[in-house]
Amino acid sequence: MLKKLKVTAWAFALALMPLLLPAQQQEEKPPIAPAGKTFALTNVNVVQGPGRKIDKGIVIIKDGLIANVGKSVAIPSEAIIIKADSLYVYAGFIDGLSRAGVTKPKEEREREKIKDPGNPPAEKAGINPQIDVRNFLNPDDKSVEEMRSLGFTVAQVVPYGNFLPGQSALIMLGGKTADEMVLTSNTALYSELAGTQGMYPNTVMAVMAKWRELYKNASLTKSYQASYASNRQGIARPANDHILEAFYPVIDQRTPVLFKSEKVLDVQRIFTLKNDLGFSLQLAEVKEGWPVINKIKTSNAKVFLSLDLPEEIKKDEKKDDKKEAKKDSVKTAEKPKEKTAWDKEKEVLEKRKAEAIASYTSQAAAFSKAGIPFGFSTLSAKSKDIQANLRRMIAAGLSEDAALAALTTTPAQLLGLSDRLGTIDAGKIANLVVSDKPYFNEKSKVRYVFVDGVMYKLDGKDAKKDDSKKTK
Amino acid sequence: MRQHLKNSTMRSALTVFAFFFTMICYAQEKGTLLIKNGTVLTVTKGVLSETDVLVKDGKIAQIGKNIAAPQDAKTIDAKGLYVMPGIIDAHSHVGIDGINEATSPVTAEVAESDVVNPFQIMIYRALGGGITTIHAMHGSANAIGGQCETLKLRYGTYDADAMKMEGAPRTIKFALGENPTRVHGGGSGIVPRTRMGVEFVIRKAFTDAKKYSEDWDAYNKNKLVKGFRGAPPVYNLRLETLAEILKGNIIIHCHSYRADEIYMMLNVCKDFGIKRITFQHVNEGFKVAPELAAYGAGASVFSDWWAYKFEVYYSTAYNAAILTKNGVVTSINSDDAEMMRHLYHEAGKTQKYGSLSDDEALALITINPAKQLGIDSRVGSLEVGKDGDITIFKNHPLSIYGVPQYTIVDGIVRFDREKDPDDMRLMVDPKQSFDDSFSKEKIIDNCMDGTELMLNELIEGDKN
Repeated sequence: MLKKLKVTAWAFALALMPLLLPAQQQEEKPPIAPAGKTFALTNVNVVQGPGRKIDKGIVIIKDGLIANVGKSVAIPSEAIIIKADSLYVYAGFIDGLSRAGVTKPKEEREREKIKDPGNPPAEKAGINPQIDVRNFLNPDDKSVEEMRSLGFTVAQVVPYGNFLPGQSALIMLGGKTADEMVLTSNTALYSELAGTQGMYPNTVMAVMAKWRELYKNASLTKSYQASYASNRQGIARPANDHILEAFYPVIDQRTPVLFKSEKVLDVQRIFTLKNDLGFSLQLAEVKEGWPVINKIKTSNAKVFLSLDLPEEIKKDEKKDDKKEAKKDSVKTAEKPKEKTAWDKEKEVLEKRKAEAIASYTSQAAAFSKAGIPFGFSTLSAKSKDIQANLRRMIAAGLSEDAALAALTTTPAQLLGLSDRLGTIDAGKIANLVVSDKPYFNEKSKVRYVFVDGVMYKLDGKDAKKDDSKKTK
Repeated sequence: MRQHLKNSTMRSALTVFAFFFTMICYAQEKGTLLIKNGTVLTVTKGVLSETDVLVKDGKIAQIGKNIAAPQDAKTIDAKGLYVMPGIIDAHSHVGIDGINEATSPVTAEVAESDVVNPFQIMIYRALGGGITTIHAMHGSANAIGGQCETLKLRYGTYDADAMKMEGAPRTIKFALGENPTRVHGGGSGIVPRTRMGVEFVIRKAFTDAKKYSEDWDAYNKNKLVKGFRGAPPVYNLRLETLAEILKGNIIIHCHSYRADEIYMMLNVCKDFGIKRITFQHVNEGFKVAPELAAYGAGASVFSDWWAYKFEVYYSTAYNAAILTKNGVVTSINSDDAEMMRHLYHEAGKTQKYGSLSDDEALALITINPAKQLGIDSRVGSLEVGKDGDITIFKNHPLSIYGVPQYTIVDGIVRFDREKDPDDMRLMVDPKQSFDDSFSKEKIIDNCMDGTELMLNELIEGDKN
């Protein structure tokens, strides 16, 4: 589907955005308190970071920052006090790769037939490395609230598209305007090993060939431009190329390449490109990293594991099978049915499938055990599954501290945000998540989320479900 | 029908996994192994009865009588069995993700080496047919297709790079005739629409590459001059690759059927000074066998497969024999995951159609494809110093009763008929439903795979 998306449609959507915004804002409930207010969370279980806890502590939030945290700290008189008895507060979560808050371009209804499929216009062929995701940010996109309600407060977001969709940014999952959301822009050059149907590059091998060619030409053009800049007389003026220029920060190692790397072969192919070209790398949305875990460890790539997991085999289905078998046996004079070759074979295949699912579920534990620092990403995860998936990873051997680190401190470190985010310490940005039970507890519900010191109160999920039923 | 047979084979009970796990550990290792008392078909040095073959650290260390087994070496008792070099398939599309970059008539820059897939179950099944090395090729949609990759069937590894035959020369796919004219002329309305057009596309590509090479040579020479500040030529990976062909660093493997187009391509090679070329399929090769031999071009053919489209009607099962007797380095290939599993039968047919000797017939699937891929110093015959790639047969491999028992790559047993679990998958799709495991297995090993969209139609059962 993505392959059909067109840049022209993005431009169209952008043009419409100002018209749509006021209407959406009216419907949206405003945050309870505007930025600049002071809050005090009192009597709260403070999980400052993995393994750092204060029982019944106080967190003071002032002007968007964490002003103070401790067992007994002075509460400013102007503070709105939130009696958080028996609640738990954590640093807001950081998402390594997502499209939360990014407007999806409209799909073109009819695909225009390209005259010469071997030489399509760059924008149609997915070659848009110069595009800045900031052009598509919308704080009112429902994905922002969805992810924030889970405790995510910062995300590295990328434009829609395939192959080279553009430049990523780190955004706050809050704020009123697109600019207010942005924490850091142009954080990485985003890429996927996916071509465009019906035109070049279509296959993965052509995508990789084109990657090499663009990179090499960017290097050449960049050196020539530098030479020209040093003395502009007597040599031809270098050609202007906005596509190649987008690679310059990558060539200078100032910006990494952020690759969607779901499958184990994606990871290996991305390493091939990395080794050929020498860029610094962020591997995100990794789902099958365990077979090449040693390669990943020695690569120095920054790693974000996917919070998407394959579905568990439901126990209910098995029960149904048994019931059916019973019915059958009644019909055939109550003889217990012997296992057929087919049944035995099915058992063996399902056992292997269950083992495969277990490998995906225990990936995070394996990375933790191997000492590879990793964060999480949510690009292909359904928001309703994320908390359950975290619990499955923990059940498969990931410690709760390691899970928390992967949501907070490690991504902060991998994305260069440790001075501002990742823990509950005085001076850091007030991005917090407050839950009624320890976050990884099955019954835990998020009650408050703070983004940039702005409080978002959650009514609890049950009420929401009722609402959605009513609207149907 | 073929699909049905495959399914029923798979339906036998699935039980053992232990073997699968031990294989993973061996993935990149080289093995030491002693094969005792077999009938050794060296292919190049005659037949040796009751002879031992010792493989040490992946290489054939000794061939002779009464070789003492090194400590801890695995020993295979091959008494009454036939020991031959691992079979080589010079034309396959197995082990790769993506066969055709069908969007342009010239795509020399794309390379199958980037998309090796070591998990395909077809690789293990090929081992079951005694295959140890395959030429994993780009498809035939383009006049000049992509670069191919020579793979060793080290099934069990998760490392795509470990499948590549280290040091094998680079090769590239070319295609003449109906496929490129249909995809690009018919599908996109661009050159080539005719066989003349195909020749033009190839000649133009080489001419451009020559110019490109000269431009870069001039730039690199100028750069040595002090004070030179000129702009570099635009880097073009396609022309870069074509220039490597002109320099003799990449062997052409050219899909072709008709004698006229084969002769045309020989003339193109002559005009551009290209010496290394093997023609693939080459069904009318028998008409130009002396010309092929004189040029030193190879021919890689089917035993008896034709009439699947207009340009493939004029064919004969004597093709391989006629080419061989004319001195053309000839191989028999499969271009098909199923046929690959009985390439030894395909070679055997040349004894019925053409009365080739055992050595000549076996050479068609061993040393000759090795020569065509430029790997004959490493594989293709049983000689001391060569890679320990060996297939052991019950009954003579050219006999209709021949059945592979062991397939050995680098001295590691990769297939053992006695220990052949039903489920040899390395990666299991966690979303796959039970029934899919049987009926929806997707086999993608088609020469024209990836061209459907270009043609705006599905070409059912259209191969090659």
